[in-house]
Amino acid sequence: MQSSPGGGVVRKWSPVGRRTLLVCSFILAAALGQMNFTGDQVLRILAKNEKQLSLLRDLEGLKPQKVDFWRGPARPSLPVDMRVPFSELKDIKAYLESHGLAYNIMIKDIQVLLDEEREAMAKSRRLERSTSSFSYSSYHTLEEIYTWIDNFVTEHSDIVSKLQIGHSFENRSILVLKFSTGGSRRPAIWIDSGIHSREWITHATGIWIARKIVSEYGKDRIVTDVLNAMDVFLEIVSNPDGFAYTHSMNRLWRKNKSSRPGTFCIGVDLNRNWKSGFGGNGSNNNPCSETYHGPSPQSEPEVAAVVDFIMSHGNVKALISIHSYSQMLMYPYGHSLEPVSNQEELYHLAKDAVQALYEVHGIEYIYGSISTTLYVASGITVDWAYDSGIKYSFSFELRDTGRYGFLLPAVQIIPTAQETWMAVRTIMEHTLHHPY
Amino acid sequence: MQLRRQPLSAPRPGDTRPAAQRLAVPLLLLLALQGAAASGEPEDSGWLQDAEPSSRLLSQAARAALHFFNFRAASPSALQVLANVLDGRAWVNQKKEYKFDLVFTTEFYRAEEGEKRLGTCSAQVFFRNDKPRPAVNVTCTQLIKKERRQEEDYQLYKLMKQLKSPLNAVRIPDSHGYIAPSLRPIWNLAFLGSSYVMWQKTTPFLHYFMSQISSVKQWKTNDDAIDFDYTVLLHEFSTQEIIPCRIHLVWYPGKPLKVKYHCQERQTPEEGSGTEEGSAVALTELSNF
Repeated sequence: MQSSPGGGVVRKWSPVGRRTLLVCSFILAAALGQMNFTGDQVLRILAKNEKQLSLLRDLEGLKPQKVDFWRGPARPSLPVDMRVPFSELKDIKAYLESHGLAYNIMIKDIQVLLDEEREAMAKSRRLERSTSSFSYSSYHTLEEIYTWIDNFVTEHSDIVSKLQIGHSFENRSILVLKFSTGGSRRPAIWIDSGIHSREWITHATGIWIARKIVSEYGKDRIVTDVLNAMDVFLEIVSNPDGFAYTHSMNRLWRKNKSSRPGTFCIGVDLNRNWKSGFGGNGSNNNPCSETYHGPSPQSEPEVAAVVDFIMSHGNVKALISIHSYSQMLMYPYGHSLEPVSNQEELYHLAKDAVQALYEVHGIEYIYGSISTTLYVASGITVDWAYDSGIKYSFSFELRDTGRYGFLLPAVQIIPTAQETWMAVRTIMEHTLHHPY
Repeated sequence: MQLRRQPLSAPRPGDTRPAAQRLAVPLLLLLALQGAAASGEPEDSGWLQDAEPSSRLLSQAARAALHFFNFRAASPSALQVLANVLDGRAWVNQKKEYKFDLVFTTEFYRAEEGEKRLGTCSAQVFFRNDKPRPAVNVTCTQLIKKERRQEEDYQLYKLMKQLKSPLNAVRIPDSHGYIAPSLRPIWNLAFLGSSYVMWQKTTPFLHYFMSQISSVKQWKTNDDAIDFDYTVLLHEFSTQEIIPCRIHLVWYPGKPLKVKYHCQERQTPEEGSGTEEGSAVALTELSNF
């Protein structure tokens, strides 16, 4: 189900497409004052064999209708979800029990759930008018982030502007924030987050960093010096289609949502689609794989947009790509074990950045080249950036080291952003003082 | 071929060795194997030591040892996670068998914010080829006294017995990483069961983390034991794949954990390497029920 910026529906509970659709229709019906579901339950039944399945089908055939299947009897291994009106509960449960049909109560009271869901949707529609009420310690939907971007740009229009650099496969805008105090095509620092949509901590960190940059300009010597000489570009949602999908259907989705005729699986790993060592080890040519590199380098619009932007800008001096998880700060190469020519410099810069990060909350990061620290990976952003002449190319893997992984609790957003910022600031400072 | 004990630097941040020297085990050892004949250690003939094992490789082996440890301890209130590898040695032989000797620190999985109690473990981990289910010999210092651990397990058990069926809470944690306090015991128990599965599936090249409980099929507490049937999403790191596994466990405080599982894979499952070989590891408890 597509959602576009500015519209769309926020789902509070867990995505099961068909169930959500049914709930929506219930809400509609309830809203029209036609139906009340108080006390109705949804039972989940696991039929052990065909005999039990046919018993369930008998229920389906009853007239007048006593139950309503949300997930009908299909095969013995598949669960059957059945809505039972309050008035029929006792009889139906007795029927199931007498025939030895094991069931669980999936939803204890549908009306309660509908009321909660309606409340959540109403809340989401009250669009935030300013960034001061935006919660930096929560995770947000795509719509909320895009709204925040507009508000943020309005509030800080002296330094920040919004650029659209392209469209995603499902035609969503790809947005970049530009921080600039003037000049023309100044040397620039590029930061991206969210290339892998399930890494929610990265978008949240990007947003926090945006706010930090504007609040520190004029106060922090390094930020002020950097912005007086350079521009910063920040792409917070590098994979908007994938990100929308993590909200609507699959929280652990990684790739984009591109599809091709004749291909059974959807999505390309956007961090394997770049033109550096493309198709090598650590990427996969199977479209069903999580590290599918796509049919050709830059075949994906989300990657092409960034490539086009950076190449036509022509003056990007540092690139920072933010991922999670593992707690690592790394530099090229990913596709090969061969060290890059300024390996010593990058090693020491990473060391300093990690030290600055550590001093905030005592979190330990390891650092090194991608291939030796994380794994061999081909066609990645920072390899391409480095080979395109961007000497200071870094990749972050934020918190944690596996306890929560991609599902990092929201309470860790601000501490993570605070420490990450100090590392980013270190890299910015070095880039400023080492022009090339 | 030099055989050298390579102590790791004290816990991070970072790594004092220039990255160029820290080559992945397979590459370095393949080069060594292609070269001169094996020098032959007195007790393990054919084993070639990796002079510079990567911290990633050692961490993976340490985690495998911890999965096994957690499973055997069968104590959801005393689950431990890897903190730092203090010392590690890695060997491979021409039969492509991998051996690790590790010392590492651990933390409580259930640590409250700020509670940083570290334990220490030493382990030997052995993989036959790149087969999963390594043979593990692991000893850990006692993070909490046995009596206290048993008491906390029993408290957890009582909590779980009182829990209304948690089937309404389909995903744990939710998308925002939140676990309701009342559901914490379920998460811990699920992690215990997943530890068994992750140990079974770990190879020198594949290692797993538990991402989310995606559904609770059944939660029964009649009889005495907790009978828990759930689906968990495992994250395999090197391929980045998400593997759904259906796990059915039976737990009673103080008793060994009984687990059955089935994972949805794209590849065919492999035979384990931990059923025979070297270490003093008793076979796991696999029971039909």
